[in-house]
Amino acid sequence: MLRRVRQSSLRQALFLMARRPGLLCGAVLLGVLLVLAVKFTCSRAKNVVAAARPPVRFFSAEAPIVDLYLGQLDQVERLRSVAEVSLIFFYAPWCAHSMAARQEVQQVAKKLAKQVQFLAVNCWWNHGKCRKQNRFYQYPIIHLFYRRFGPIEYKGPYVAPYVESFILRVITPLTYLPSRDALKEFLSYHEPRVVGFFQFNSSPQPPGYMTYLSSALQALKRDFRGVVRFGVVTNKQVAEAISLKEDESVYLNRRFNSSLIFPRRERNFTSEAICSWVFEHRETVLQWLQPPGTKSRLLEHELSKGPALLLFLPHNPLGTKPSPMLQQIADIAVRYHSCDNANHSSSEETSPPHSCCQSVPLPEFSARVCEVCLRLSPSSLSSSSVRCSFSSTTTRGGEVFQSHLRHCCLHRLPAASLNSSEGCSHFLSSYSPFSQYSACCREVEPQLNQSQAKEEQAAPLPPPPSPLAPSSQTGGGITGLRCHTNRTLRFYVLDVALNWPLAERLGATGNRSVSPHQGAGAQGDGSFATIVHLKDEVHYVLHRSAAATLTESLEAFIRNFSAPHSLLQRHLVGEEDRTAGEGETPHADTQQPPPRRFITELTTSSFLPCSHGRGKGCAAVLLHSVVWILLRSQPRPHPASAAVAGKRLRHRGQGECCP
Amino acid sequence: MRAPVCVTVLVWLLSDARQFTEEEMSAVRQRIKSMFYHAYNSYLDNAFPYDELRPLTCDGQDTWGSFSLTLIDALDTLLVLGNQTEFQRVASLLQDTVDFDIDVNASVFETNIRVVGGLLSAHLLSGRAGMQLEPGWPCSGPLLRMADDAARKLLPAFQTPTGMPYGTVNLLKGVSPTETPVTCTAGVGTFILEFATLSRLTGDPTFENAARQALRALWKTRSDIGLVGNHIDILSKKWVAQDAGIGAGVDSYFEYLVKGAILLQDEELLNMFLEYDRAIQNYTRFDDWYLWVQMHKGTVSMPVFQSLEAFWPGLQSLLGNLDSAVRTFQNYYSVWRQFGGLPEFYSIPQGYTVDKREGYPLRPELIESAMYLFRATGDHTYLQLGLDALESIEKITRTPCGYASVKDLRDHQLDNRMESFFLAETIKYLYLLFDPAHFLHGGAAEGDGSWEEGGEDRQCVLGAGGFIFNTEAHPLDPAALYCCSRHAQDRQELRDILLSLPKEKKKTRSKPAAKHTEDPPHGPSVSIALKPGEKKTPPLLSCPVQPFSARLSILGQVFTDNT
Repeated sequence: MLRRVRQSSLRQALFLMARRPGLLCGAVLLGVLLVLAVKFTCSRAKNVVAAARPPVRFFSAEAPIVDLYLGQLDQVERLRSVAEVSLIFFYAPWCAHSMAARQEVQQVAKKLAKQVQFLAVNCWWNHGKCRKQNRFYQYPIIHLFYRRFGPIEYKGPYVAPYVESFILRVITPLTYLPSRDALKEFLSYHEPRVVGFFQFNSSPQPPGYMTYLSSALQALKRDFRGVVRFGVVTNKQVAEAISLKEDESVYLNRRFNSSLIFPRRERNFTSEAICSWVFEHRETVLQWLQPPGTKSRLLEHELSKGPALLLFLPHNPLGTKPSPMLQQIADIAVRYHSCDNANHSSSEETSPPHSCCQSVPLPEFSARVCEVCLRLSPSSLSSSSVRCSFSSTTTRGGEVFQSHLRHCCLHRLPAASLNSSEGCSHFLSSYSPFSQYSACCREVEPQLNQSQAKEEQAAPLPPPPSPLAPSSQTGGGITGLRCHTNRTLRFYVLDVALNWPLAERLGATGNRSVSPHQGAGAQGDGSFATIVHLKDEVHYVLHRSAAATLTESLEAFIRNFSAPHSLLQRHLVGEEDRTAGEGETPHADTQQPPPRRFITELTTSSFLPCSHGRGKGCAAVLLHSVVWILLRSQPRPHPASAAVAGKRLRHRGQGECCP
Repeated sequence: MRAPVCVTVLVWLLSDARQFTEEEMSAVRQRIKSMFYHAYNSYLDNAFPYDELRPLTCDGQDTWGSFSLTLIDALDTLLVLGNQTEFQRVASLLQDTVDFDIDVNASVFETNIRVVGGLLSAHLLSGRAGMQLEPGWPCSGPLLRMADDAARKLLPAFQTPTGMPYGTVNLLKGVSPTETPVTCTAGVGTFILEFATLSRLTGDPTFENAARQALRALWKTRSDIGLVGNHIDILSKKWVAQDAGIGAGVDSYFEYLVKGAILLQDEELLNMFLEYDRAIQNYTRFDDWYLWVQMHKGTVSMPVFQSLEAFWPGLQSLLGNLDSAVRTFQNYYSVWRQFGGLPEFYSIPQGYTVDKREGYPLRPELIESAMYLFRATGDHTYLQLGLDALESIEKITRTPCGYASVKDLRDHQLDNRMESFFLAETIKYLYLLFDPAHFLHGGAAEGDGSWEEGGEDRQCVLGAGGFIFNTEAHPLDPAALYCCSRHAQDRQELRDILLSLPKEKKKTRSKPAAKHTEDPPHGPSVSIALKPGEKKTPPLLSCPVQPFSARLSILGQVFTDNT
């Protein structure tokens, strides 16, 4: 830089000299002095420093984002005050995370520019106002403002769909519920729901309404997914459906315990108070986890509470409704947690789905019936006139019925006849949140055989002698299991795309370069399920067969885990590679061989068969010792690799695993 | 080991930015290469034969001596980046131009790690670089003789009553009579890798003995609670600066104890380190930061994190102490994200830089740790740090001629210096981080290039078992040490054993074990089954068991230490 300056000034001087020779002498003298001075200072270069380059635009000019690259915070205030909703993206121009997030924010801005004011502020430049007034420990940071409410800091991943969904939540923090149906539907999800009742007839805006709205925004500060939804009811008749009578009351819907109304007399009616009250009292059957990427003890905190079922699912945060897969899992989670099921609690919301069943005697086996049930969720039952109709007159119903029959009873029976402990299978031919078919093959008592169609409420079977034996369970075998077992599971959901490395560590397989939604532990839908028991230092992996549905296999997985003597096989690192390697035919001319582990976790039981000639894994173990014993310093393993080796060669409690 | 797990783990294509595909990594490698050549060519054009390039004024200066330091230091990086021809050219150029018979006062420590280390690794890599080899290589060769020559100039500094060396020596005249006897701890204990390598390759034990003597003398001076300060009077053995920590002035001492133990299979060195480590964990660690404490009392004297301390997680990973390493690394990474570099001093309570220590001279330590931890865990968090570092260095420090040290991380003001370790270490570790299949990681694809032969009658297997990096990132091959020191002897013994095997079975079995006294106590017939109540203590030089939670500590998740 310095050199360039010197050159240009010299060039200018020469130009001048050419025109006015009189200057020549002085110029030469001056030039020599200048060069000497520069030379002198440079040779004592200790004090040569260069200021940082002045900042330049960070976002491209086309992007609908105001780029305040000089950190003009006052401009932010001005622009923010005129916009309904605004997003402020604080960045540092040198930061790789800011650069990566820049693409994502740009993408979102293109979609939402009309509704949201997008601002980007260089909060690094030390002459800018932003840097002077803030100290950030990392970049980028996203703040949202809803009118004057804010900042609401975004704490989720910097991925366009997540950011967009968060902004949408801020734009509409409340869901308006005009009718009873809308309210019913709103409350039918497993996630916590809050309803506020505000009558707009007296004044244009009831005084408490803004407080309620800010409490919804407040909740977004705690939870970027907006799992807790806030609805608003303005109609008295609608409010009565959940027995809200008083104006300006806030209702927290709960499934297992009775629902609550915000105690205005005991607590101040402020947004913080409402928000913390909701988070204190909400029920969570299914919890989202998202490691923030920076140092955190989130997993430790959650997993040390007890055994955890981690479900890795594909997830689209922009989907208006939860995906069918998530709904099925939520359904399982709700049933798992429904402890008072046996007593048939009166509350409509807490009752398990109604079922209507039809038993079909099978011609081949006189002592067996196939029982096909249509399970209906309560809201649909009450709101519509769905009857227990398996009549084959409606062609579609008949088809479904026949296919279920085929699936369960005709295909499975040969196997089941050997083992009469066949549970129910749940089918998902076309998913609707309100109904689900299941088919059970049963050994039937004569008296039951007579009932051709009966209305029942979730199979009130006699309580099984051992509550956990899966053989005595039928449809909804995990209903209320939480209270029958001392190995209570917690349900967690993770976005598989964001947390694939963790899933992979826990045994998810599948080459994701082929297709992002294939493979993954034989689950064609890209999901992966595992139970981690941190205290016992074990984890189990759900291996799904192609024939079983998600619900079916997940329920069996949970039941087997809950059994007093766990029926599951502990997952050992490296084992699936071996079995997969044997089972699969190798690809012809594979460019990328499947990831191969070199060290396999062993127990005493697996060590011997492995060491007697079968395993590549053992070769590594033996290699390890051979290296140390015989070859000494020749092919010495890299210490870091050896550390990995050490990690896999874990003492497993059942005995020494490796020499 | 063989082709590491991470090689194949990387081929996934993921939508999330946290996972790097092979293509992305290859693109990053290209960027690192062009970064190197920008700095390297600028040095050759503007600064050679001075020690260092001055990137703001585009000229050179001598800093640590007068031996084209940057060129010596960068020599093996050329080969790491795959440039054999330039490596050959520079290696011969150095043989012709560099002369250590000069009247220059040089730092014993810096000359050792940069010059001796650089020449040794260049010598050990010259086979891969396709250079003309002498018949006895790697036990002889011109670069080895140069390294020997340079190291010999340092030996006068070790001629002290305690065996601990002076800090500075005149390459021509030896130690000046007025030389201060105060040396930093690292300046006493950072010789074993280079000196033992020299001794084992050349057969002259002087160097290794000098280094070991200094280490043992230093070991005896530790305080009652097992800590060492950071400056010592080598004549009186009094600690002049009594701050104990893992950073400036001490860092590479601990590093060399561990790496020396691995390179030489030396339990004495490892025992020293393990004892220090106990004291360090006990007195200086707070919330996975390492503070500075008074070496006798253990009271906190400076609650700062120093840029040089960032090597520690990498060192821990070498001993298999991964969970602690990961937690500490995450702390240091958060400092990087705050400033786009690591300030020389970072005040932990204030969460900000310390006055007069705001610079970042393009140091490699955090990247070095990232490389080791990525090798050990396969977690792409470490690649993300590599990308952070690459972007920061490009955006902040690039000048028309080279890359300038950051004088002040608060405003990214630049200094007119590019230290030689930028080319020797920072770029090398960055490149190796993004190239998990590199031969320096201990064998790429099996078959071609994973090893080479050498030694007398080409009987040794070289480069097959991974490399040990000295503190200036110069790789040393343990197999070469073995090849030149024990290989022939062991082969003879093995032959004797095999020939006499049928006659006296009993004797032969005990014979090798008796000879190799430093061997871990393994016999070929050790039973793996444990008798009830028996507790097996693992051999010292082996990897510890990882906790169950290690499989969950990814994506920044950490777990509390249960020990």
